[in-house]
Amino acid sequence: MDALLNIEDLRTYFFTEAGVVKAVDGISVTVDRGEIHGLVGESGSGKSVTALSTMRIVPRPGKIIGGKIIFDGTDLLSLKENEMRKIRGGKIAMVFQDPMSSLDPLYTIGNQLVEAIRVNNKEKSKQQAKDEAIGLLEAVGIPEPARRFDQYPHELSGGMKQRIAIARALSRMPTLLFADEPTTNLDVTIQAQVLDLMKDLKQKFNMTMVLITHDMGIIAEMTQTVTVVYAGQLFEHADTRSIFLNPKHPYTEALLKALPRLDMRRTLVSVPGNIPNLINPPSGCRFHPRCPYAIEICKEKVPQVEDAGNGHLVACHRWKELSLVGV
Amino acid sequence: MIPVVIGITMLVYFAGAAAGNPIDLLRAGFHNFRPQQEAQLIAYFHLNQPVYIRYLYYLWDLLHGNLGVSLNTGRPVAQEILPWAWTTVYLQLSALALAVAIGIPVGVYSAKHQYSKSDTTITGVAIFGYSMPTFWLFLVLVIVFAFDLGWLPSFGAASNPPNYWWGNWFLDRVAHLILPMLVLTYVELATFVRLIRGNMLEVLRQDYILAAYASGLSERTVTYKHALKNAITPVITIIGLTVGTALGGAPALETAATWPGLGYYFVQAAGSLDIITVEGITVVITLMVLLANLLLDLLYGVIDPRVRVR
Amino acid sequence: MTTQEVAKEKVRRRAATQWAVAWRRFRRNKSGIAGLAIVMAFVIIAIATTVDPHLLPYPQRSTESLYQGQAGQPPSWAHPFGTEPSGVDVFSDSMWAVRNDLYVGLAATGIAVVLGVLIGAVAGYFRGYVSQAILSIIQVFFVIPVLLLILFFARIFQVLVIHGYGLTLIVLILGVFGWSGIAFVVRGQVFTVRELEYIQAAKALGAKGSRVLLRHIIPNILTPVIVLGSLAVAGNILTEVVLSYLGFGDANVATWGTLIAEGEAFGASIYWWVAFFPGLLVVICVLGFNLLGDGLSDALNPRLRE
Repeated sequence: MDALLNIEDLRTYFFTEAGVVKAVDGISVTVDRGEIHGLVGESGSGKSVTALSTMRIVPRPGKIIGGKIIFDGTDLLSLKENEMRKIRGGKIAMVFQDPMSSLDPLYTIGNQLVEAIRVNNKEKSKQQAKDEAIGLLEAVGIPEPARRFDQYPHELSGGMKQRIAIARALSRMPTLLFADEPTTNLDVTIQAQVLDLMKDLKQKFNMTMVLITHDMGIIAEMTQTVTVVYAGQLFEHADTRSIFLNPKHPYTEALLKALPRLDMRRTLVSVPGNIPNLINPPSGCRFHPRCPYAIEICKEKVPQVEDAGNGHLVACHRWKELSLVGV
Repeated sequence: MIPVVIGITMLVYFAGAAAGNPIDLLRAGFHNFRPQQEAQLIAYFHLNQPVYIRYLYYLWDLLHGNLGVSLNTGRPVAQEILPWAWTTVYLQLSALALAVAIGIPVGVYSAKHQYSKSDTTITGVAIFGYSMPTFWLFLVLVIVFAFDLGWLPSFGAASNPPNYWWGNWFLDRVAHLILPMLVLTYVELATFVRLIRGNMLEVLRQDYILAAYASGLSERTVTYKHALKNAITPVITIIGLTVGTALGGAPALETAATWPGLGYYFVQAAGSLDIITVEGITVVITLMVLLANLLLDLLYGVIDPRVRVR
Repeated sequence: MTTQEVAKEKVRRRAATQWAVAWRRFRRNKSGIAGLAIVMAFVIIAIATTVDPHLLPYPQRSTESLYQGQAGQPPSWAHPFGTEPSGVDVFSDSMWAVRNDLYVGLAATGIAVVLGVLIGAVAGYFRGYVSQAILSIIQVFFVIPVLLLILFFARIFQVLVIHGYGLTLIVLILGVFGWSGIAFVVRGQVFTVRELEYIQAAKALGAKGSRVLLRHIIPNILTPVIVLGSLAVAGNILTEVVLSYLGFGDANVATWGTLIAEGEAFGASIYWWVAFFPGLLVVICVLGFNLLGDGLSDALNPRLRE
């Protein structure tokens, strides 16, 4: 098991006027080379910020204040900014959630692709870059790529824009790709296409992918390993099969219960309660206000991450005694 | 566009007509004329015609570049205002250019360092800037730099030959330009800094900026090629409006500085109820504003492809 | 309760908490609070001097100091802002000016707001030619260098209307020429809100047109109008100062502009305090309204991240 990315006890806080938002408060993730790794959680769980932290592009007023991020043997947090810049786009890339706003509206998509291709690569001529860009557009399934090259983002559909965003992310053949809710803002029919495309490209480009999502259905279809996060903390980590068949954390069980299923007669159960306030998170286990199995100790002590066997990690005081229901 | 222009001429003319007919105004403005001339004046101003006919005569004259004849000097307004207009234009354009040149980088810096001490200072200095009456600031500066320290002249746009400031006629004009220009620059700059800062803050929150960073682009490329270009379009609109008010000549500042420009001339004309000149200057300035805004709209189209008509 | 009543109740409750949230956000904005404090200080001074004219040492425009041999004196304990060579006590007149300038600023803005909201709302609510025509009118007023027209009309009134020329006429002039900015924004808001889905939803639930107007459109207009209004007061005060500085105002009342003009006329090199202090008060007062406007803008239009 070769770990490409090893995030250890990451802490990223946002220092806002309203208070300190502890977006990531002790998350650890290990991503193996060649896999598609799912990062699952509700909005506000810290999954996006984890990815942003890895690339060190956390926007103000956010700051990484603790932890280690080892990528392919290098501690990313110790790199100087200009060295980190070489890694962004080159070794690690990212695709964002909203295709409508992830491309600069004032430049043609060709301009933006060429720009990405020529980062740290100024020797490449514009013509060469243009040819490469058109090739990329073909690879992501854009019809008439030469014509699209000169078009502006507002002239294209959401699905196409997302493909182009993927093309841009892959333009320098990165080793690791973060995909932050890549299909959430797309029509359902397009979603399937884009997901297939991503699986395909991962094979072709021999990449490792971290798929961030709140949709367990996508997790089931795409990933080999899953990490479940909540309110900035790690709750469970295991291979996909185990997560679905044998969840060990109440939150994971709740997420699975919320999946609509056509083949079972079951009422749609949503996870009750609201996402916790990240400035003043609940004491002890942050899930305790909404957890059907919570007991006294859950309010008082933060559960430690324990190994339930075979690398199946869980952070719950009661994991040994609970028998939870998978799908 | 055309209806707006027509509307403007109508507003100006009828407002002027509401003020009173030229004969009464001449009298009120203490200009004397002989009784024989009264008949000529009535014929000249078509005063025996109803208002809307007089408006049409006015419009016709306008279209021929005839702004009428000054009640004060008796000379054609169009000619009279040229030298005054030039003096205002070079003061306003230099101030505007400097304000844009300083304001934009400062605004960008302020946005990127939001919440820092320099950001708060810059915002504070800026908000003082547009809370100030320009002519008062000028007076204060003149008291310090001209009266107390004697470094700069205290009034006018130029001095006469033997008394040239700083050696020759060019530097003399530069010396006179400095204080009024600095005052204008500061006040205009205040608006630009706040505007750019606000827009940059908006733009910097956008996903495409984050995506640009994620592609490994340098700080400079992201800030200028992507963020600033997106942030600048509303500023262009404001620059257009500023050109407009600038051409209004800042009457108070020009009066305080005895700066022989359009604003100063306007105050004199209004003071002596020279309605023809008043109307003329208003129309000219309005048309220049419209022209400037038209050009800026085109510039907008060059920058933002979403606005272009295909 | 019927669905309609439930919906109405929810809208009412939500509207109430919206203002509460905005107020809390405003409280945290330090510069906004500073602006509010400054404005309230000036308002209190204005009210106090109106209620009790004996509060200030000298009546408006009084040249008493001349007879006390105190004319043309620099700032001192007896005359904190000094005196004019004509005998006017700069401090007293500057304080009298608070009431006058505030009156002009607030009243002119009031007129401009009323006109702006009415015209803008009509322009936004109706469609087609009416809307277009009104938009053109708004544009005309927007493009014209309004200051010039204001100066001219003030001068006309000054010369031709001997009796009763005063601040009120200035208020009217400023109001009549100052509504275009507000009208433009209000039109935009009404336009947008009219098309919003929840208006259509409310109508589908059976809400009457006028009810829709009141419950939904008005709150949406209030926000930008409040912000613009505060900034407009700042602008109108500055315009009034320019007006009286150039001598087109009413010289019988104390206004900051008149004082500055007198300061310059008497010779700013020697009697600097006459022009300086009134101007300083202008800056502080206008600053107050600008800070208040900004604070309100931040509180009512949240753009917070996270």
